[in-house]
Amino acid sequence: MAKQTFTTGQVLTAAQMTSLQQTAMLGGAASAKTASYTLVAADAGTAISMSNASATTITVNTALFAAGDTVQITNLGAGVCTITAGTATVNTASSLALAQYESGTLDFTSTSAAIFIKGAGAVAASGGMTLISTTAITNTSLITLSSIPATYKTLQVVIRGAMAEGDNDKLRLQFNTDVTGSRYRTADAVVTLDNATYNDNNVELSPGQDNNSSTNLIVITVPDYTNTTTIKMAISDAVTNNATTNTNINYKRNVGFYKQTPAISSISLFMSSSNFYATGSILLYGVS
Amino acid sequence: MVKTNTPQVQIINCTTGEEIIRDATAEEIAWMQENAVKATAEKAEAKAKETAKAQLLSKLGITAEEAVLLLS
Repeated sequence: MAKQTFTTGQVLTAAQMTSLQQTAMLGGAASAKTASYTLVAADAGTAISMSNASATTITVNTALFAAGDTVQITNLGAGVCTITAGTATVNTASSLALAQYESGTLDFTSTSAAIFIKGAGAVAASGGMTLISTTAITNTSLITLSSIPATYKTLQVVIRGAMAEGDNDKLRLQFNTDVTGSRYRTADAVVTLDNATYNDNNVELSPGQDNNSSTNLIVITVPDYTNTTTIKMAISDAVTNNATTNTNINYKRNVGFYKQTPAISSISLFMSSSNFYATGSILLYGVS
Repeated sequence: MVKTNTPQVQIINCTTGEEIIRDATAEEIAWMQENAVKATAEKAEAKAKETAKAQLLSKLGITAEEAVLLLS
């Protein structure tokens, strides 16, 4: 039952009393959302559940809630649900991101500010993987995963069935939409680099692949992506369908190096000389 | 998606889940074309090398496996 002001002499119905009892005993049904949502005044004192396979947000604005109001938020979906400050201020001692089956409470301290108190969840366990986003590949030249949350230790990008229009094309990657030359270097993972120069504006992370079969699997790991003091790297394991005999496979383990030290907040993927076909998917995981 | 002549860019905001598809900028088109030219040249070079290797094996009258054995 949404928060309201009762008046002297008002007669409560049985349904209102039941609802009040449920709210008081934290037994009320949650208001189910399946897409990003902006809180409204009627959400005060209620519980909201989010369920979506992709990332979503719950936006908090000013002048809707009073000091002491609370809103409980639970994420049931595989996509991360992030509590987002709209016009209001939202502070937290932990994280504003709720992984699947995590929950937290917005506790308003004024009409324009709230504290998000996050309950302990599965993500707190070291080594746990959280699905950050799932993307269906479209017929484009470049795919960028942007605004990657900085709340994990390692990123893992799983690319299933990506296919290029051009035969024997290879998958390439850039960080932070940086296309500057001489900031990247690719190495075969079994080869030692000694006094190597940065020689490209991207890194190559797969062998060539057939443009008529889509059972390729490419897994890219980006360790320690939030540090701001070291070179960054992407390690890939890629198995692709051979371009000449597509029932045979190509396999390659490459490592790509990026000269810059800022944290990685975006990853761009493209094929070496053509567009992606509209097939396959990209899953981005955060490893705690 | 309606296919246009301008290369398209798919951007996924991993915090909000918002996804957009837009035309590539002139800068993006420039570096993508530069990369495509380089990749095409690399493919041609690899193909030429493969053909030369096959011709040499044929001239010698041995298989690739036999050539590997000779060099081991």
